[in-house]
Amino acid sequence: MATPEVIAEQEALKGINADYTERFGFRDAENYLYKAPKGINREIVEKISEFKSEPAWMREFRLKSLEHFFAHGMPRWSPPASPMLDEVDFDNIHYFVRASERAERSWDDVPEDVKKTFDRLGIPEAERRFLAGVGAQYESEVVYHQVREDLEKQGVIFVDMDSGLREHEELVKRYFATVIPANDNKLAALNSAVWSGGSFVYVPPGVHVEMPLQAYFRINTENMGQFERTLIIADEGSYVHYVEGCTAPTYSSDSLHSAVVELIALRGARIRYTTVQNWSQNVFNLVTKRAIAHEDATVEWVDCNLGSKLTMKYPSVYLMGERAHGEILSIAFAGAGQHQDAGGKIVHVAPNTTSNIFAKSISKDGGRGSYRGLLEVAKGAHGAKSKVVCDALLLDEQSRSDTYPTIRIGEDDVDVGHEATVSKIGEEQVFYLQSHGIDEEEASKLIVNGFIEPITKELPMEYAVEMNRLIELQMEGSIG
Amino acid sequence: MASATIEQPSWLAERRARAAGLTERLDLPTYKGRPGWEFTDISALDLGAYAPASAGAAGAVAGADALFVGLEQPIVVTQVDAATVEVTGELPEGVVVSSLEQAAATHPQLVEQHLGTIVAGEDAFVARNEAGFAGGLFVHVGRGVALERPVLVTVVQDSDKTALNWRSLIVVEEGAQAEVWEQYLSAGADRDGLFNTVVELVVGDNANLRFVNGQNLSEKSWIFGSQRAEVGRDGALDWVSLGFGSARGKVRTETKLAGQGADGRVTGAYASHKRQHIDYDTTQEHAAPHTTSDLAFRGVLQGRSEAVWRGNIIVDPGAQQTDAFQESRNLLLSKRAHADAIPGLEIQANDVRCTHAAAIAQIDADQLFYLRSRGLKEDVAKRLVIEGFLAELVERFEEGPVRQVLGGALERRLALILDA
Repeated sequence: MATPEVIAEQEALKGINADYTERFGFRDAENYLYKAPKGINREIVEKISEFKSEPAWMREFRLKSLEHFFAHGMPRWSPPASPMLDEVDFDNIHYFVRASERAERSWDDVPEDVKKTFDRLGIPEAERRFLAGVGAQYESEVVYHQVREDLEKQGVIFVDMDSGLREHEELVKRYFATVIPANDNKLAALNSAVWSGGSFVYVPPGVHVEMPLQAYFRINTENMGQFERTLIIADEGSYVHYVEGCTAPTYSSDSLHSAVVELIALRGARIRYTTVQNWSQNVFNLVTKRAIAHEDATVEWVDCNLGSKLTMKYPSVYLMGERAHGEILSIAFAGAGQHQDAGGKIVHVAPNTTSNIFAKSISKDGGRGSYRGLLEVAKGAHGAKSKVVCDALLLDEQSRSDTYPTIRIGEDDVDVGHEATVSKIGEEQVFYLQSHGIDEEEASKLIVNGFIEPITKELPMEYAVEMNRLIELQMEGSIG
Repeated sequence: MASATIEQPSWLAERRARAAGLTERLDLPTYKGRPGWEFTDISALDLGAYAPASAGAAGAVAGADALFVGLEQPIVVTQVDAATVEVTGELPEGVVVSSLEQAAATHPQLVEQHLGTIVAGEDAFVARNEAGFAGGLFVHVGRGVALERPVLVTVVQDSDKTALNWRSLIVVEEGAQAEVWEQYLSAGADRDGLFNTVVELVVGDNANLRFVNGQNLSEKSWIFGSQRAEVGRDGALDWVSLGFGSARGKVRTETKLAGQGADGRVTGAYASHKRQHIDYDTTQEHAAPHTTSDLAFRGVLQGRSEAVWRGNIIVDPGAQQTDAFQESRNLLLSKRAHADAIPGLEIQANDVRCTHAAAIAQIDADQLFYLRSRGLKEDVAKRLVIEGFLAELVERFEEGPVRQVLGGALERRLALILDA
């Protein structure tokens, strides 16, 4: 039963994200060189390709993808996806906005209003202090990109996808859309037709990229869809950590973000891909992320979802080579009006492959957090081992938590397990902390931070700091 | 007594007509894009190939492989194909055990009050059952009455190429207590049948029901089932479900804890071989505060068999202090066996404790090694491990006849799939 302490505690947790607009919802005057009209058709796709002076094969790929987009229905999920999905209006979106003529190499060349936006996010400082190379995506195209000299010396390619296509066409042609084909699903088809920006990364054999490669993404035009396309290839025995962080201003009508991210870890390579997603709460974040891990390779997805109205995102790893390893760490925080439908998929195709999925979700103020996952062991993948653990924390009576894991096993020599727990903040925990002189609000923050700590500790230091700050902001507020 | 001799009340005739109308309208579920059916393809089902079951001969019971052997002094109910129902055993005051069709005539208010209230909704198989059920079971235990003897219901499908729509309605009134065992059998291994069951369990406030259900149909049979219970305030339901036979199909097992303090325990086991495809879909719905549920399923898969288990815990808004547990474990005995486990949680109250676990594995090599190091042969050691795996389910029950009867059923099935 609700004691006064519990009531106070619940009061303390109310109002998460209520001041999102003030905190993150700033916007700059629109000043674009080209903005496509709303809606999608052949002409727009041709226009995008023309603007980018792309090779004919890419133009054909886009047009073919557009046909797949028209032919596909919305993906079907079971249990069904959020009804919010019906609100996505593909005709009411700008499919291409170009902020400046070409990608910039130096910070000084970046337009002033773009810089101002980054200033608000504290990026320049972060850039000076930490960043190896910044692929900052402002609108649809990468406007600022810097690859540190030592990376270039190592032969590491880290450019925006458009430049990648221009400068490394053979590599791109060889791997592009091989992990996520254009007809994979409606949203991947849309991205394939209108993609713009995103990162292209190639790490040569044996090269260890010591510092995480980071890219910031922002959406800044009302009703503008953002369709970045990222392709990362880690050649044999190499290592790279790629970090993607997002924040976006708030607008009145809904916006769509639909990325496609493909990772290829060749023999013995390791890729870690970290996302901190904090889109404003009018964004539909419908993303296809998939990785292939070859023999002895490792792929890790660290996926943190805080923002957006509806996120549907299930990073996946196909373990194609013997002894490959896949790991998915997922955090979702669903506040008022939000639905975080996140999770992960692991498919064991080769023998003696291993995987882990650890997911944590927090729901608050009527928010809904759903874990949706797949763990599949195909015939022939003998000796596969996998563990899936999902925990959810519900902070009040209005909120909702779902767990929908699917486990498909077609091989007898396996060891797979799944566990999930849903609970509330323990009164004893709060009481204990209070008895040590910590007030309720602080106690709740500590408990929530402790709950997600096993995952935040996997983040790069500055992201862990930012993540904790974001969670604290979410938890802050209306006590008393 | 055959159903032809029983006058059907008009409300039932109307309901059947309405259901028959629904069957015209409702398509059979397809596994593509139909939530809940993705892993069970029933496109090979030709409904037209199965004629409605007609009255069968009681002698067919002898030819069927019974699941439940050794119950003490049961009240026996037997049906072969449609509408041959025998009830043997004296009934205490306040207890009705009869065919459902008969009860509709003799206890019309009671039957009308409950029939179709627990399993509702537009479903192609439920509608077919409602339109076509014959015979069936009605158990009513009046307020405060404790029915000490177990009721043992045996339904045998004898005639080849027939569809048997089996319907049960069990009502245990406030403070009452009952134990009902229900087994679905085929008269021979060669029978090709369609078995479509709808079971409705009403557990009143403070009432107590144990319902043990099992199917050992021929491995050529289709089985479809919608079985659902509602448990009232401080009521308790102890439900067991065994799935051994049949070629393919899907059985839904749903518990709604409707009253404060209600408790639902569900224990399930399947053991499949050859090309069997078993599908269980379970739901534990917590609709009131302070309710508890505990579901455990275990499966052993041999040959090229496949099993699907989908389980959902639903906690409705306001159902605070819910404590729900759900677990599914599969043991794969063959390289070609396939298991799908889809546990689910949908939680809309915050002061809850909900946990689920699913595991799919082969026989543990360490256990095997240990037993072999003690001088046991490989096949003996394996068998011990499998028996141990299933014994943990049986140990959910107190020492006594229930454990023995369930243990016996599992043991016989295991012998069949391991030795075949």
